[in-house]
Amino acid sequence: MSTTLLPEQRAGDAHKQTKSSQSKRYGFFPGCVAKESCKELFNSAMLLADRLGIELVELTAASCCGASVVNDTNRDVARVLNARTYAQAEALGLDDVITICSTCTGHMRAANKELLESDVHMTQANAILGKFGARYNGTVTVRHLLWLLIDDIGLDRLREMVVRPLNGLKVAPFYGCHIIRPESVNGWESSRRPHSLEDIIAAIGGEPIDYAGKTRCCGFHIQLEKEGVATSMVGQNMRMAKDRGAQAVLTPCPLCHLALDGYQADSAARWGRTDLPTFHLPQLVAFALGVPPEKLGLNKHLIDPRTVMVAQELIA
Amino acid sequence: MAQITLDVFRFDEAVDVVPHRSQVTVDVPETTTVLDALETAKAEVDGSISFRRSCRSAICGSCSMNINGTTGLACKTPCNTVMDKDGVIQVDPMPNFQPMKDLVVHMDPFWDKYTRLKPYLQPADRDEDHATERRVSPEDMKKLVDVANCVMCATCYALCPVVSVDPAFAGPAAIAYAYRFIEDVRDSKRDERIAQISEDYLWLCAHCYACSYCPKHVDPNDRIVDVKRAAIADRVMMNERGPRHALTVNRTIRQTGMLDETELILGTIGRFNVRGLLKVAPLGLRMAAKGKLPPIFLKPIPKVDEVRTIFDALEVPVA
Ligand code: SF4
Ligand code: SF4
Ligand code: FES
Repeated sequence: MSTTLLPEQRAGDAHKQTKSSQSKRYGFFPGCVAKESCKELFNSAMLLADRLGIELVELTAASCCGASVVNDTNRDVARVLNARTYAQAEALGLDDVITICSTCTGHMRAANKELLESDVHMTQANAILGKFGARYNGTVTVRHLLWLLIDDIGLDRLREMVVRPLNGLKVAPFYGCHIIRPESVNGWESSRRPHSLEDIIAAIGGEPIDYAGKTRCCGFHIQLEKEGVATSMVGQNMRMAKDRGAQAVLTPCPLCHLALDGYQADSAARWGRTDLPTFHLPQLVAFALGVPPEKLGLNKHLIDPRTVMVAQELIA
Repeated sequence: MAQITLDVFRFDEAVDVVPHRSQVTVDVPETTTVLDALETAKAEVDGSISFRRSCRSAICGSCSMNINGTTGLACKTPCNTVMDKDGVIQVDPMPNFQPMKDLVVHMDPFWDKYTRLKPYLQPADRDEDHATERRVSPEDMKKLVDVANCVMCATCYALCPVVSVDPAFAGPAAIAYAYRFIEDVRDSKRDERIAQISEDYLWLCAHCYACSYCPKHVDPNDRIVDVKRAAIADRVMMNERGPRHALTVNRTIRQTGMLDETELILGTIGRFNVRGLLKVAPLGLRMAAKGKLPPIFLKPIPKVDEVRTIFDALEVPVA
């Protein structure tokens, strides 16, 4: 029987091989907020990658993903901006692109889905990219670091790597809408009953707290639209977490982080004081894996997480 | 057959001060719907359990309720997809509504927001003699059919986190239904409708996609974006914070390749709106104290001219 493959098939297989044999190098899209007001997230992600023995190669010329807002004015621009980013990743041989933001994940995946599912969209994007000599061939996959931790590292291996277990710290997961919804775009786990963050919390020695707020919205995108609304959304969610006994929150999204960390002080008037410190996903995992806490930017949070860490005998 | 226990929220506004729960166990095939399990419970065990239903086939929109904490149509939810290992299913009235009796809620706020839309065609001429047809091309009609599938079950409204903290927000279904008339070529009130839904806080949608769970695939989240684009295209209420926010995002990405957090605040609230800026200042100061303020001048990304090429090729509005 002939085993001759078509050129693109062969290329496809070879590409798969390189992916598995050198699975330690990833394209890295940090997103705007991790480079601006949440630099501690960027730094923690790099330190965590180091611990995990993987290399995150930053796509330094990438633009904003569109942040769910550019769609409001134009139906094409986010798709083409992200096609430009994917073309850069391909040019570097990095078709596995990792994000550290729920909003980036959802919007980059949505753009990619449209590009891969429609010739019209792909042709339109490449016509514009062609003006500056770029081209997207449709080989990129976008994933969040959360999914990488579970799929590529694995919970068992993560558990083995823990040197500083969380001593049963009660941690409330907060997913951020765009990493789970819409399911047609993300679909990596159930959007109504996700449990990846809970699994990570348990793997690093914490106790995950279940509460209805975990899949709800932080209000970040409307923080400036009308006073008090986003604040109240934060208060409502944090109230639920606190009432279930949470001592801290863990989120894979810097926008959620800005909202949860920033607005709890103001939501107290309507929802009572909650004061739950919020960890970035890579921050808490890196801590458990032995990265020195002073390198994780814990002092950058408005609600200082070190208080509860001291109480839990995690730091002195 | 399976033993299914319905753990039901019980409350009668006429007599009760606080709600309680009752557990009713029924023998039904496990593929039966939650609604049919409730029907069986009402017929065989406790006739006083109240819930709304009519069609039993996801068409009338009556039976929306909270099933194990998330909202959906009881007649479209098979028991075996939601029951726990002991066969228990929790049923509660829709959130974001005042409970009336058991699973029945007061729907008034939902209908009020719908009525405000003037949800009927308002053509330019009254066509008193009905002499000519009002024709719509298949392409134009295609834009409207998905929204026309709305059965007004209020699932989306119950799931909306903005409604839950600010009842002034029109909510997903009403905005989707506004779209249905805004994009109808036979209607003559397009800009009035856009202005009215903007006043009912179109731009307060938090982009959370909770309304993507619509059981009829209306996907109000996408229709909301369509209405915003119509507002920008027709330049209706452009001085509101929503449009300013969106256009400032565009401008900063075009200029720097990045979303400029500092510029976003100034551009949305208004550089000279001192009162508005003072209101966000306390948070800014708290962030500054932690060394957490975004840079004042953002360095553009490498090859930012490529980003500008994209914006210009697509004629993206930036102001
Ligand atoms: S949009 Fe969907 S969920 Fe909302 S009322 Fe209509 S049918 Fe129900
Ligand atoms: S996407 Fe907007 S309208 Fe839909 S549920 Fe979320 S906030 Fe409400
Ligand atoms: S009974 Fe009609 S929609 Fe469920």
